[in-house]
Amino acid sequence: MYKFTLAVRYLIRRRISYFAVAAVALCVFVVFVVITVLSGLSRDFKDKVHGSVGDCVVYTRSLVGFGYYEEFLELLRRQPYTKAAAPVIRNYALVSVVASEPGLIASGRDQTVEIMGIDAASYSEVTQFGQWVRYNKNRIESVFAPSYEPNLPGCVPGIDILFDRDRQGNYYAPDGPRRVVLEISCVPLTAKGALARAGAGELNSKTFYYSDHFEAGYSLDRRLIFLPIGEVQLLCGMATGHKRITHIHIRFKDGVALNNGTAEVKKLWEGFVAAKSGAPFENLLSQVQVQSWKDFSKVIVALVETQQTIMIACFALIGVITVFIVLVVFYMIVSHKSKDIGILKSVGASGFNVLSVFLNFAFLIGLAGSAIGALLGWRFLAHINTIEDWMFEKFDFQLWDRQITSIGEIPNTVDLRVLGTIIFCAIGTCLLGALLPSWRASRTRCIDTLQVAQL
Amino acid sequence: MKNDCLLEAQDIHKSYRMGQTQVRVLKGVNLKLAGGEFAAIVGVSGSGKSTLLHILGALDRPDKGRVCFKGSDLARQSGRQLNRFRNRTVGFVFQFYHLLDELNVLENVLLPTMAGKSVVGWLVCRRAAKKRARELLAQFGMAERARHKPYQLSGGERQRVAIARALMNEPEVLLADEPTGNLDWQTGNGILKVLERLNRAGQSIVMVTHDERIAARAGRIIRLTDGVIAQDR
Repeated sequence: MYKFTLAVRYLIRRRISYFAVAAVALCVFVVFVVITVLSGLSRDFKDKVHGSVGDCVVYTRSLVGFGYYEEFLELLRRQPYTKAAAPVIRNYALVSVVASEPGLIASGRDQTVEIMGIDAASYSEVTQFGQWVRYNKNRIESVFAPSYEPNLPGCVPGIDILFDRDRQGNYYAPDGPRRVVLEISCVPLTAKGALARAGAGELNSKTFYYSDHFEAGYSLDRRLIFLPIGEVQLLCGMATGHKRITHIHIRFKDGVALNNGTAEVKKLWEGFVAAKSGAPFENLLSQVQVQSWKDFSKVIVALVETQQTIMIACFALIGVITVFIVLVVFYMIVSHKSKDIGILKSVGASGFNVLSVFLNFAFLIGLAGSAIGALLGWRFLAHINTIEDWMFEKFDFQLWDRQITSIGEIPNTVDLRVLGTIIFCAIGTCLLGALLPSWRASRTRCIDTLQVAQL
Repeated sequence: MKNDCLLEAQDIHKSYRMGQTQVRVLKGVNLKLAGGEFAAIVGVSGSGKSTLLHILGALDRPDKGRVCFKGSDLARQSGRQLNRFRNRTVGFVFQFYHLLDELNVLENVLLPTMAGKSVVGWLVCRRAAKKRARELLAQFGMAERARHKPYQLSGGERQRVAIARALMNEPEVLLADEPTGNLDWQTGNGILKVLERLNRAGQSIVMVTHDERIAARAGRIIRLTDGVIAQDR
């Protein structure tokens, strides 16, 4: 009992222990804030990518695409694990934007973009497309019908393709879709991979009208235009002869594990390919891969995760500094408290009891420091966006430029498991830092500290 | 009221290294202490009297020779048994009181009991322990000071608290190292009266002092000269 009592009194009465508590609190605060923000950025990014891909993708890297997709989609939709599946064509195109309202919408822009041909209804069942669009959230089937003239062919460009942002990340977007013309051109290929319009200008071009725009919250917003799948099939030469697409996006039913579902789709696809053996253009099927959304997006997700890991590792080094601070503080405390060690041993306390006193003390320092750091961190995170706004107003400082980066607010959702791990590590760090001095204290012979000559 | 041999030192040798030289402090001390005795070990500074007391109380080990308590050789006891010996069998009183500044008077007195018990053991006996601690403090006129911190007490008061702490676990031997050495004569006299009263009640006491007047208050005087017992009367 005295071990805990003494540890509490040491904590309260020794001013030097306040420095150790402050060091731990600072360390916990910094690591907590950094990990929360970085994990939030990483989680948000992964959620967005997941939201744009679905759970699983059957796809080919070839711009020629693959056929027999309607048969496979039918087969896929009958499977017990499939909630929804959507055919998609992805290709590259040139776009020229002609705006009718100069100043409001960026006009005269010619750029290379990705075009994605989708069936809006099925694609929004698989992905979050239905939530990304601005004007047609509740009537997604009309997303390609411009409200100003529904019979015109519509398109849904990423918000950054059409609109500029101010430094706080706000877009100069209109209240409703305006008549903006987008001239889209791409190179059509035959099922054999040859240029479909060789010798005839090589490009297929078509005029589309801005019917809505989307905001996925990451790089898609500046490089992707959604179009009706039928139109893209025509543009890319996939509608004639052997009808083709490039991707099938799949969403699994709730409760289906990602790996299990993906393995099932892979098995189904292999069976399908085997059944098509000898069919025309069967070679296109052999280039098709089946991947979970994580594998499909691993290049961009891995980049974010690597950045996160490096940053967290850098900030975790603060923990090493804390170990050193606690070690120094404890060496000082043990030196000051050598008489107490002798007294305790003279009344029968063992070396282990003395060790326990100092480790309890270290535990309390860790606990108090963690509690203070966690509370400060929590409060700071709760107001981190307000603080950033204030710093932007006063000092023109932003964590990142909202004109360039699609991320708006700084993520500040606290993950209690992360916080628990940080506190656990902080207490462990204190115990580690205190271990050597405490062990030294436990080995001290009481006679060495209680003799008059030592006092 | 003297019983059979309680504590026995046989041919105790002890030396310390001071710089390049080895200083032989004890050069073959033989001593027997019976139960209920009040013995004073006297000698000049550096004669080895405190060293002998520490060896008798298992705070230190002799280089040669052995210390037996009721016939049991302390050198053969494990670390755990020696801790128990220091906790239950002997009680120490030091010249500089050696109270823990972080604990109040009552907690200091309770320290030996707390040190000898596990958390559960302490929770079971804490009421009885507190009762005994308060009784001891009352016995030494310190009942009103139970909640005070050591630095709020005078030297004499601190030493009385130290004696109460030493007696907390009802030790068979009280080992006092210059208990009045840091006190004025009047206050020291008060402490001696306390020790005399305890001895009259049957408490065995070994006291180290360099003051002949104080030693004269003990029933037996052991004079230590040049590392050996020169006189025992």
